Amino acid sequence: MSDKIHLERVYGPSDDVVVREIEGEIVIVPLASGIGDIEDELYTLNETGQAIWNRIDGSRPLAEVIRELAADYDAPDGLIAGDVVGLLQELLERRMIVEKG
Amino acid sequence: MDKKPRPHLVAGGELPLGGDSLAGLMRAVLEKGKPFRFEARGTSMHPSIRDGDAVTVSPLSGAGPTTGDVVAFVHPGTGGVRVHRVVKAGAGKYVVKGDNALGPDGAVPRDMILGLVVRVERGGRVRRLGPAFRSAALARLSRSFWFTRLLRRARRTFARREGRA
Repeated sequence: MSDKIHLERVYGPSDDVVVREIEGEIVIVPLASGIGDIEDELYTLNETGQAIWNRIDGSRPLAEVIRELAADYDAPDGLIAGDVVGLLQELLERRMIVEKG
Repeated sequence: MDKKPRPHLVAGGELPLGGDSLAGLMRAVLEKGKPFRFEARGTSMHPSIRDGDAVTVSPLSGAGPTTGDVVAFVHPGTGGVRVHRVVKAGAGKYVVKGDNALGPDGAVPRDMILGLVVRVERGGRVRRLGPAFRSAALARLSRSFWFTRLLRRARRTFARREGRA
């Protein structure tokens, strides 16, 4: 598996995470270590991270997600792409997302 | 997104995990066949489980819990998650009670039982593990109001002796 983010590829949540929205926050519990552990292994996303996560659903290429975000936030594609790729790189390294299709 | 903070992932931190949100998260993890570990709060299972112990809950097998098992369940009255012992197993319903609680929590239906406690860690050491944690004898005693009173009296006596030493 490539560990680099590619704009033409499709990404989605990994089967090895449990994701719940709790009081407006997205909570991610990775299961890769074989256990869901709220003490040490639980993550949340800030507001901008949530906007990206909600679109990473395995249905369309990342470039399309970036175009949608750029339109919604009225910002240049290049600026949005930097943020999106940075977050997805971290999510991929932590095995919270995977390439789909 | 230029006016927004950069997206980032936050590990741990303070989360509003109580009541149905903890139950939902635990159920989601257990449904994937994985154990769920969290910090126990309260004294209702003292001394088996103490405030601050790390408790690991495993998914239930098809047979369901039996008398003496310690289970995590959704309390029928409050909707919060509790970890107590099954003192009586019936047809699809379980009477659960904290070892240190005066009375039972009532009859809990099978679908409100989230999982089985298989491991308790205290101070970095595993205190209980698997079937050894099950105690049918303790479950029988725990059904008795007098057992709780005797436990408390014994604990007070022990504390007094320790104080004198």
